[in-house]
Amino acid sequence: MKKITYIIWASALLLATSCASRRSEPVKGRSFNANRSEVVHGEQLFMIHCQKCHPGGEGGLGIAINSNPAPGFVKRLQMRHGLGVMPAFSKKELSRSDLKDISSYMRAWKHY
Amino acid sequence: MKTRYPDSKSQRSLRLYCMVFFCALVFLLAGCYGMRRSKGGGQTKPITQRQIVPTDINVMEGYGVEAVMQGLTFPTACDFDDRNRLYVIEAGYSYGEVWTEPKLIRINDDGSQSVIATGSKNGPWTGLAYHEGHFYVTEGGQMEGGKLLRVDTTGKIKILVENLPSFGDHHTNGPAIKDGYIYFGQGAATNSAVVGQDNASYGWLKRKPQFHDIPCQDIELVGQNYESPDSSGNRSKVVTGAYMPFGTASKPGQVVKGSVPCTGAVMRIPLQGGKPELVAWGLRNPYGLRFREDGKLFVTDNGYDERGSRPVWGAGDIFWEIKTGAWYGYPDFSGSQLLEGDIEFKAPGKSAPKSLLKKHPNQPPKPAAILGVHSSSNGFDFDNGRFFMKGEAFIAQFGDMAPSVGKTLSPVGFKIVRANPETGVIRDFAVNKGKKTAPASYLKSGGMERPVSVKFDRSGQQLYVVDFGILTMDQKNPKPKTGTGVIWKISKK
Repeated sequence: MKKITYIIWASALLLATSCASRRSEPVKGRSFNANRSEVVHGEQLFMIHCQKCHPGGEGGLGIAINSNPAPGFVKRLQMRHGLGVMPAFSKKELSRSDLKDISSYMRAWKHY
Repeated sequence: MKTRYPDSKSQRSLRLYCMVFFCALVFLLAGCYGMRRSKGGGQTKPITQRQIVPTDINVMEGYGVEAVMQGLTFPTACDFDDRNRLYVIEAGYSYGEVWTEPKLIRINDDGSQSVIATGSKNGPWTGLAYHEGHFYVTEGGQMEGGKLLRVDTTGKIKILVENLPSFGDHHTNGPAIKDGYIYFGQGAATNSAVVGQDNASYGWLKRKPQFHDIPCQDIELVGQNYESPDSSGNRSKVVTGAYMPFGTASKPGQVVKGSVPCTGAVMRIPLQGGKPELVAWGLRNPYGLRFREDGKLFVTDNGYDERGSRPVWGAGDIFWEIKTGAWYGYPDFSGSQLLEGDIEFKAPGKSAPKSLLKKHPNQPPKPAAILGVHSSSNGFDFDNGRFFMKGEAFIAQFGDMAPSVGKTLSPVGFKIVRANPETGVIRDFAVNKGKKTAPASYLKSGGMERPVSVKFDRSGQQLYVVDFGILTMDQKNPKPKTGTGVIWKISKK
């Protein structure tokens, strides 16, 4: 139990202290190069489906997602099924591979 | 084997705890939207003075910012004459029903200012274009209707067209000039084609109680009507239909005759003046208009708000390539997505928007890019390849006017973005330093407040940003501050 409590506290601390939600080329002072095809494709899909509520992954109409530490599968689950006011995206709108490409882009954007 | 049982149990517990933790985390981050309060960029205490500190603005590496002019009142656009001298217009009107004098101002080589022309109480002047020795100005027309003005270098004003339907929420915008024509945008009268209580808050419903949206071509209505409080302030209710005056219901199958000039459209007139011709319609508020080097016309179109009798949630601003004769979806689409039946556009706790038109003229085209909800993406200019990236549009985002346009969880806009019309990819180009992307008054810094338009100078190597100045929001109304407008210049170091 002690171990688990430590893990939870460590994760919460990580969440609180790390990952500022601002991810922007002028803030970073350098360009973001989407050099893998899945990242390029993921970015374009992000712009169509996500950007308007989470501009550049920052908060806006929706919450900031750049700082969301949830693993990729949880985020994909949320995109597919929606949560709260976030709409669900059907397989017709975004295929499984599209969701993975968006995840790849978000990971690349988060760590650039 | 027995010795492994405790381990397996503890592993299972760990897995379970981790799953619960991540699920809780996701719920925590998604939060309960309804319980959160709005945190728009204008939701700060009114500020009396503005600091100007160019180093409080982040731009891409290799670029620098300077303030070339300050103390302006509601500046909205700038352009350059043949000698590359800078001219700026002051709007003469701001949301919040603040009236001043519209002006065309020249910035002389020594930094001094000369007022070239002044307008009447019919602002806001929203756009400026210099062409062959004349300035072309779009006059918003809150009092007398929209106008296109031609101003010569001595300040003499000639009206090229007047009585444009510009008394409502949105104004006459643009202009862009090509092949002997002036192209201009005419914003919609309302948020989503139904006159309601929100229009009384804007101030115009009392002035023009019969005003409403005007379609450019004949449309057939579904007959959807909306109940709202009477604008007189008493407790009675009125019922209003789409494209109808406040308090007038529509009937199923009712045909509303189209006419030009209309609202929510791009139109054009000859350079010497004349009758407006329709270019494209079904837009909401086509604010910025520019021709790209290849002759294609693009516009920025402000998306729906979560307000009024027919609120629409989650509708981004759209960057469109304009195709002659096409209908762009207002009031039933956002981009190329139909509002009806799409949960994406249902405001939490409110009714989902239903279609108003029985038959849609065409499926709206695919947007060139979709910008932030409530970002108020306005004036823009194309890079000709001498600044950063050829063909990209640099767009000024005025920023949200929450909570009156709807709730936002963080400030939206208040920056310069670049949009690639081919891929739809949007990246920031100039933003304020600080914890969030927000106006300087929110961050208590000396950076940008509300960028409303941008323009490259004649060399194409310097980008001028027109910053409207401080405009804060209370629960209902904007509170603009006179004398806080700034012109920023971004250039390569």
